[in-house]
Amino acid sequence: MSSLVVSTEIPTEIHLTRTFDAPRNLVMKAMTTPALIKKWLGGVRADVISVDMDVRPGGRYRYEFAVKGGGPRFAFVGTIREIGPDRVVQTESMEGMPGESINTTTYEEKDGRTIMKVVMVFPSKEMRDQVVATGMSDGAGESYDELAKLLKSL
Amino acid sequence: MNEILLDTVFAALADPTRRAILARLAAGPASVTELGQPFDMSQPAISKHLKVLENAGLIARGRDAQRRPCQLVASPLRAVDGWIADFRAHWEETYAALDDVLEDLKKEAAAKKKRTKTQRRKGRTP
Repeated sequence: MSSLVVSTEIPTEIHLTRTFDAPRNLVMKAMTTPALIKKWLGGVRADVISVDMDVRPGGRYRYEFAVKGGGPRFAFVGTIREIGPDRVVQTESMEGMPGESINTTTYEEKDGRTIMKVVMVFPSKEMRDQVVATGMSDGAGESYDELAKLLKSL
Repeated sequence: MNEILLDTVFAALADPTRRAILARLAAGPASVTELGQPFDMSQPAISKHLKVLENAGLIARGRDAQRRPCQLVASPLRAVDGWIADFRAHWEETYAALDDVLEDLKKEAAAKKKRTKTQRRKGRTP
């Protein structure tokens, strides 16, 4: 299956690109229907406890998770700013934490497959780095790509 | 790998000169003089960077008293890479779960299409 591309080249942004073997209407349906979100958004590490989502411009959403095996609970909250046939713009923050990112997701359909691109814009590089890895010291973000290159040469 | 060590390693990697030094050392051991050549920097300044890298466990210095060649130690870098990879791995896993949901939706959509066709055909038969 198609692999995920993560780019941290821009210091205050995270870019994710992933291709899905399904048409755009189904990908968007799976990403904006609470009952379907519950089935996948926790991945293998967390259970999705609840999904509240008011799918319209200005609508709020809240995803609550619990780390698998009775672990701690946490939630992501935000507002949907824009929702179109091939694009969703939403704010996102971890509940109880300061600062939020603005996430723009675009969906491009090609030969029955969908290329999804997520651009997350943070108010600062520090906040971006925190999202990539909590506890990471400041200034480490820009080293990912360099590091990846370096590691390949070892 | 504990958090304190990770912090030290990340702080060491946060500087472009130090990353360039590591990239040079990836090609093989080098002396302080050799390492300083590409930079417009005094030898004490280079030595300071090397000290930071050494404290983070990213390089080792040879015993040869005169040259004390520097050598890359790859293990902390691999650990840091593993940690960054965690973010990617999380989304890899999550999107793999989405792939399964999409497979189900595709099957449902195909079944619905088939039903509609059958109904239409039935409709035409007197």
